[in-house]
Amino acid sequence: MDLTFNDAETAFRDELRAWFDSHEPGPEPRHDEDAHWRWRRDWQRQLGAGGWAGVHWPQEYGGRGATLTQSAIFFEELGRAGAPLPADVLGLLLAGPTLMVWGTDAQKERLLPTILSAEETWCQGFSEPDAGSDLAAVKTRAVKDGDEWVVTGQKVWTSGAQYAKWCMLVARTDPDAPKKHQGLTYFVLDMEQEGVQVRPLRQITGESEFNELFLEGARISDDNVVGGVGNGWKVALTTLMNERAGLAFFLQVRLRQQLDKLIDEAAARGLLDDPVVAEKLGDLHVRVEVLRLTAYRGLTAIEKYGQPGPEGSLTKWMWSDTNQQLVQLAADILGADALVADSPWAYELLRARGNSIEGGTTEILKNIVAERVLGLPRMR
Amino acid sequence: MNFDFTADQQDIKRTAHDLLASRSSLDRVREAAESGTPDAALWNELRDLGWPGIAVAEEHGGQGLGTLELAILLEELGYACAVTPLLGTVLAAAAIEHGGSDDQRARWLPGLASGEITGALGPADGLIPDAPGAGVVVALDADGGARLVDPASVEAVKTIDPTRAYGRMRADGTGAGEALTGDVAAGVDRGAIAVSAELVGISQRALEMTLEYVKERKQFGTPVGAFQAVSHRCAQMLLYTESARSATYFAAWAADADADRLAEGASLAKAAASEAGREVTASAIQAHGGIGFTWEADVHWFYKRAQLDATLLGGTGTHRARLTRLVAGRRAGAATA
Ligand SMILES: Cc1cc2nc3c(=O)[nH]c(=O)nc-3n(C[C@H](O)[C@H](O)[C@H](O)COP(=O)(O)OP(=O)(O)OC[C@H]3O[C@@H](n4cnc5c(N)ncnc54)[C@H](O)[C@@H]3O)c2cc1C
Repeated sequence: MDLTFNDAETAFRDELRAWFDSHEPGPEPRHDEDAHWRWRRDWQRQLGAGGWAGVHWPQEYGGRGATLTQSAIFFEELGRAGAPLPADVLGLLLAGPTLMVWGTDAQKERLLPTILSAEETWCQGFSEPDAGSDLAAVKTRAVKDGDEWVVTGQKVWTSGAQYAKWCMLVARTDPDAPKKHQGLTYFVLDMEQEGVQVRPLRQITGESEFNELFLEGARISDDNVVGGVGNGWKVALTTLMNERAGLAFFLQVRLRQQLDKLIDEAAARGLLDDPVVAEKLGDLHVRVEVLRLTAYRGLTAIEKYGQPGPEGSLTKWMWSDTNQQLVQLAADILGADALVADSPWAYELLRARGNSIEGGTTEILKNIVAERVLGLPRMR
Repeated sequence: MNFDFTADQQDIKRTAHDLLASRSSLDRVREAAESGTPDAALWNELRDLGWPGIAVAEEHGGQGLGTLELAILLEELGYACAVTPLLGTVLAAAAIEHGGSDDQRARWLPGLASGEITGALGPADGLIPDAPGAGVVVALDADGGARLVDPASVEAVKTIDPTRAYGRMRADGTGAGEALTGDVAAGVDRGAIAVSAELVGISQRALEMTLEYVKERKQFGTPVGAFQAVSHRCAQMLLYTESARSATYFAAWAADADADRLAEGASLAKAAASEAGREVTASAIQAHGGIGFTWEADVHWFYKRAQLDATLLGGTGTHRARLTRLVAGRRAGAATA
């Protein structure tokens, strides 16, 4: 065991720090979602131009070919620099890596470069009104018509659809398949066409980060099937695995920053000597560090054995739980001041409620841990 | 021993429940919250029914009923998430009734009891519910004192809870105003019980909405309420709600019947109800899945109001600490007696 960075990793970090010293995203626009998006997109362009957008992508696809540890360092430094996530996280962390595994050469050539440059961004069309936790229950139909597919159905909670050029779409291509997991196909859907309608959904925060997606006769060329007809479930799992692994590092760093901010708030109010406040902040410190360390163990597992250990299934649950406790503690420390509309904590308090729902609910994650990691019998 | 409402109190509860169900549907709540103005028609009706004065003495134009009746009304208002200035008005009235001089009572209580003017009460240096537009504002100082301050010195503040107006004192209002010289704490504790009752109603409603949803919503071919993760969460929501209810009803009873236990009761209620309100409404959103995170779902009104209510007049931490001091003091007293 050696919990220090090796020379290559330290050099990588120093190079990155130097770059962050001379580049910055500029002031964050507030209360204007479009401006906020443009701000993150411009930031991604800067990252891309500097060769930092797809650090974890192999060099042949325009990435930096960073090791997993190096990409963890990237996200830590990104957070440390106070910079936002690049606009197209879905493209960089989910769609790109999925295409690298399952995509054809033509797909990779056409789709990967514009992810890095933020020229074209992505959304994830998995969930439907009747297929949430039960993702394999999707009803959206894709029917073959010559060398095209015609898509009809409805998707929901599609984050970033209003800005996206492409959608990772899971649709049913064989309604007669004996099992619902069979008969699904993974497509790349062009959002800029007549059959696609995006309707924003307002959230608890008042913002519209996610949308309803209506597909009526939308067309997808045969070339945009990913991983073969009928193989959609497997391809979707690749995306979901990346969802759980990739984001952990950034989220972990954000959590660290939020906790540090909260400790400052408590100190400013003279509350650090209050044993209850100290105990709760200490507890959160433990959780945040444990999350970071567990995420690192996951990296080692992948680097050494090629697949994540049980840690991989734990981090999203740990993160959402810790974040929700953190923002609730902010309300205890700041009192009602945390709940006035222009307090950044007020937004976080509302937004955090989605953490245990988005990307698979905590209940579902626990089921997965129980069944797949612990080998407990499946619920009937 | 009879830990239940009298027939008259049952009547009040039922009448309040039915009235609010028909006059303050969640559509109305949404309309009022989104437009940022209280439901004026509802407020007029509540005034006509004498709700603002339910616990105010008859000699000052009130109905002369007790804290228990007040709690019954507030539980129903919380259940409906009704958008009215009733909470602030009854809090101000309780503070003036117990903390005010004869003159102050005569001056303010009739107007508050009839609802002709509305009132507000809150910390001099913090958020005061229902303060914008109030006719009289009671500001609480950190040392336990209270002052009647000029409502003109209040500015409106937007919070995450659009179902209620909030304000704070402008900095130049500090220290100004006319002191209340009576038993302010007795009034404020009754106020804390009223807020707790509202939290009980909020929790009850969030629980019911959740039960309805998880019985209907199917995933994996099964109502999601059949999954143990969900059913156990619902059971936990009931545990929180009933705990808050027991504590709040006890406190309201003590306020009327055993004033020596008022302080303890108020803190017991506020500690249990604040925790229940936050936990139950958060669980409600979780059990609703993605729907629960949308503006369209009504559960978020309850989550937001519960967050605010949980901080009003002290949160769980403050009241638990006070309880410890009260119990320790009682034990020290017993030892020396
Ligand atoms: C902020 C946000 C952003 C999102 N972005 C996207 C996106 O970009 N693309 C996309 O496709 N989706 C997105 N989603 C959707 C998200 O993945 C789903 O909301 C989630 O999978 C839950 O599905 P559901 O909403 O249908 O809830 P349901 O599945 O109906 O769940 C309701 C409740 O039942 C529980 N439950 C369900 N099944 C079980 C079970 N077997 N065992 C125990 N408990 C169970 C759930 O945990 C939950 O508490 C987003 C959601 C949110 C909140």
